[in-house]
Amino acid sequence: MMSRTVSQPRAAARRAPIDHGRWVPALFVAPVALYLLVFQGYPLVQEFLLSVTSTSLLSPGQQTYVGLDNYRELVFDPEFHQVLRVTAVYTLVCVVASIGLGLLAALLLDGTFRGRGIARALVTIPWAAPPVAAALIFVWMFNAQYGLFSHLAQFFGFADGGVNWLDEPSFALPAILITTIWQIFPFSSVVILAALQGVPSELREAAVIDGADRLSIFRAVTWPTIRPSVALLTLLITVWSLRRFDVIWLMTQGGPLGETNTLVIDLYRRAFVYLDLGRAAAVGIIGLVVAILVTLVYFWLSTRAEKAAGKR
Amino acid sequence: MKHNSTARTLAVLVLLGVAAFPLYWMLVTSLTPSERLFDDTPNLLPTLSQIGTYAAAFTETSLRQWLVNSLIVAVGTTVLSILLSVLPAYALSRLTFNGKLLLGFALFMTQMLPEAMLVVPLYDIFTKLSLLNTLLGLILANTAFTVPVVTWILKGAIDGVPSEIEEAARVDGCSRLGIVLAVVVPLIAPTLAAAAVIAFFHGWNEYVFAQTFISDDALRTASVGLASFVGELSTPVHTVMAVGFIYTLPAVVFYLFVQRYVVAGMTTGGVKG
Repeated sequence: MMSRTVSQPRAAARRAPIDHGRWVPALFVAPVALYLLVFQGYPLVQEFLLSVTSTSLLSPGQQTYVGLDNYRELVFDPEFHQVLRVTAVYTLVCVVASIGLGLLAALLLDGTFRGRGIARALVTIPWAAPPVAAALIFVWMFNAQYGLFSHLAQFFGFADGGVNWLDEPSFALPAILITTIWQIFPFSSVVILAALQGVPSELREAAVIDGADRLSIFRAVTWPTIRPSVALLTLLITVWSLRRFDVIWLMTQGGPLGETNTLVIDLYRRAFVYLDLGRAAAVGIIGLVVAILVTLVYFWLSTRAEKAAGKR
Repeated sequence: MKHNSTARTLAVLVLLGVAAFPLYWMLVTSLTPSERLFDDTPNLLPTLSQIGTYAAAFTETSLRQWLVNSLIVAVGTTVLSILLSVLPAYALSRLTFNGKLLLGFALFMTQMLPEAMLVVPLYDIFTKLSLLNTLLGLILANTAFTVPVVTWILKGAIDGVPSEIEEAARVDGCSRLGIVLAVVVPLIAPTLAAAAVIAFFHGWNEYVFAQTFISDDALRTASVGLASFVGELSTPVHTVMAVGFIYTLPAVVFYLFVQRYVVAGMTTGGVKG
């Protein structure tokens, strides 16, 4: 808002030659550029170079160039197909459920009611809890014999004995999804709640006077305002889901039978359990390419949406 | 509207219950006597006489050392992230220079790199630099992942600072650096605080680097210490939960105090991109 109103003199200042030499931006940017080169750029290049070699900690010192062999073998490996499937399901459900739940929470917490401040603060608790602690408590709640979820399943008559949530191939991924969604939905809700403040209240009141029902008000007034935020959340949560390690690793280490083996978990297993650094690096690069593709699609879609909005 | 607000109150209560319950359960479990943890029906209320578990959490585990290490890593990550980010954030917001787009792109790219992916090459680099098995190494690795977010958030805040204020300082003969430190930084203090909190949390929570780079027990962080209990049977469950609660509570309380700045910072800077 502020920058809008003062953009005039700033534009003028930029046009006029300013006294700062070329070295000012260079000095301002150099430290961070150097830092990122050393701790992100260089390791990334190393990782790529590893991915075209056969490097195993089982035979140290023996590193041979194998070209795209690691990638080729992954493409034809049914276990890796499972990794891709698990990653896709995990990411998709994370995005849809945590944004859906976040939207619901935001709509509930919007407007004025008694205790609003406290409610808005409390809902962010999961987001503030360290992931390792979240994994620990959910592992306990999903405990086969003594966990709360097993007690509940028994109470409602779903199961006679306990339920082996984390060791049962069809239950492990849902259990991890529940944990993850619990952790991240507050973030969606906070972002959407902030966006909701931009919904013009006159417009909403006018709609109410016109006798519009809640759903059409949401569609016509609320949704267009929060849509950019929802789009951005989609991108962020997708990328985070592709990166997430701690919760999944601590709860199942990718098991049972690979049913929670996402790309990042697979990468870590190959590197630190099977000590196959070359193949692990190839998995990492594939994951990175997926993340970049998702981001490009997002930017393509959002510029298209902006242009469409501009034409209107 | 009356019945409507009752329904809403109920829905809000359910929502808060879902959000807060797991932490409550952690507390209840930590305050349940060992022999009653394995009852057929769970105990839903804490047994306050069990408060001694919290003393045991300190005496039976290395919790104190873990918390100190986590604090060092978190504070180090915060300080280094802020020091590295202020100037590039200013440059991205106000200056024109070659490679500006490239820097913006590089900052964004790091959001896509999983920590787990860089563990192997970073391990290699840290071995060469003798940073393996040091807290400094963890700080350096964490900062590489916080700097982009922090820079982006600060850039958003600097975008909102009216440039006339800077012009005035410039006329008075301030150098660029002087302007940034004396004029801009105080004006974006709330966002700076938000960015610091985000960096702090990253350091406090970080797990995969701490797990892989640290082998010395005395240098373990709380995340790794706590993780070592998962699937381990010799430490009583209620002690483990007490450790988890002690690790979690400061983070949650701290966050509740500062969250208004974090939300404002994220929505003006980071999230709007």
